[in-house]
Amino acid sequence: METVTAESPGRSGPAAFRTRLLARRPLAASAFELSLAKPAGFTFTPGQRVRVHHAEAARDYSIAAAPGEEIIRLCLRRVATGGLSARLAEIPLGAELVFTGPHGYFTFQASARPAVFAATGTGVAPFCAMAAAGVSGFILLHGVAAQEELFYGDLLREKAAAYVPCLSGGRAAAAGHYRGRVTDYLRAQLPAGAYDFYLCGRQEMIRDATLLADERFPGSLVFSEVFY
Amino acid sequence: MKIYTGSGDRGKTSLFSGERVAKDHERIEAYGDLDELNSVIGALAASLPHPAEGVRPELEAAQAVLFEIGAWLATSPGSAAAGLLPPVDPQAAAALERSIDRMDAALPSLGGFILPGGSPAGSWAHLARTVCRRVERRVVRLAAAQAATPGDESMQRSIVYLNRLSDYLFVLARHLNRIQGSAERLWKR
Repeated sequence: METVTAESPGRSGPAAFRTRLLARRPLAASAFELSLAKPAGFTFTPGQRVRVHHAEAARDYSIAAAPGEEIIRLCLRRVATGGLSARLAEIPLGAELVFTGPHGYFTFQASARPAVFAATGTGVAPFCAMAAAGVSGFILLHGVAAQEELFYGDLLREKAAAYVPCLSGGRAAAAGHYRGRVTDYLRAQLPAGAYDFYLCGRQEMIRDATLLADERFPGSLVFSEVFY
Repeated sequence: MKIYTGSGDRGKTSLFSGERVAKDHERIEAYGDLDELNSVIGALAASLPHPAEGVRPELEAAQAVLFEIGAWLATSPGSAAAGLLPPVDPQAAAALERSIDRMDAALPSLGGFILPGGSPAGSWAHLARTVCRRVERRVVRLAAAQAATPGDESMQRSIVYLNRLSDYLFVLARHLNRIQGSAERLWKR
């Protein structure tokens, strides 16, 4: 593992690193996880992203591991064809990859207000990094279509004050699961008050949750990271 | 990739520090004007004549500093998010001073107020200067309201930088007009 450029974070932009794909495992039919070797000198704050460059394509992925871990875990949505995520689902183990980073400011900022982490699908990745790094006591809403997509549930359940899987799919929700979207929960279930909302995932969820924060939870802070 | 989220469709937006504020909030006005300044500098860079190509890196460096100042403007003083921001580098203003001195050494001394205008690039530089002064006024107002709070030092450095950038843009306008053979027109009563 080596640094490709000597650039340091700052005006010249985040540094570039070479790494190798160590492992790939399915998380659900709709998502998979990549484990990359952590290059020497690479540091990040939980919630930040890396920009993976491969075959003349580049895409940002949130890191799902804590900074103290030896590997960088990325959580990717599986797409049928085209795009970098589809290629990364197929490249052989041991393949070299280049990434730049860390990018972004979607990081946890402790406050006196309760933190609500709201994610759709693979948008749960930055919250995994935060939880793995020791952040706890948050309310976590994970919006998915089916129960099998509730990946990283053990880690999140252990660290959360309340772990609320929000199932929007057709089947009846199991005990302890909320039947409906994340935004349905915010509209109908979350008690009134001021919160620090951390929103990560689909644009529609972030839009609706932000507007709900304005309407139902005045005095709240809203931090968001859109996954496209 | 979509660039819209729709979360601002009802007239509010989020500060970097997370607060939801109206889009005419004083911080939004300030970094909106800063964005305008950055765009006018971009137009200036696009209009540079070939003999002035050496100025382009200076303009791009200024645009980068303006992004850093913009982050401070978008952040409530004392917030946890302020701790994520790099401090505004005082060397940025010093670099502008060196450029001002370099260009000024080749310019005729000023004999009065000059009419803003001249060559296209010189005119853009004058326009950028006036927008820069407006941003400076906005930032002075914000800094007065947050004096002696965390982040105040970067606000003070931002004021210094904007003051110097405005001077730089004035001298740059004269420099560009000179190298393009556009005579300065003095204000006559």
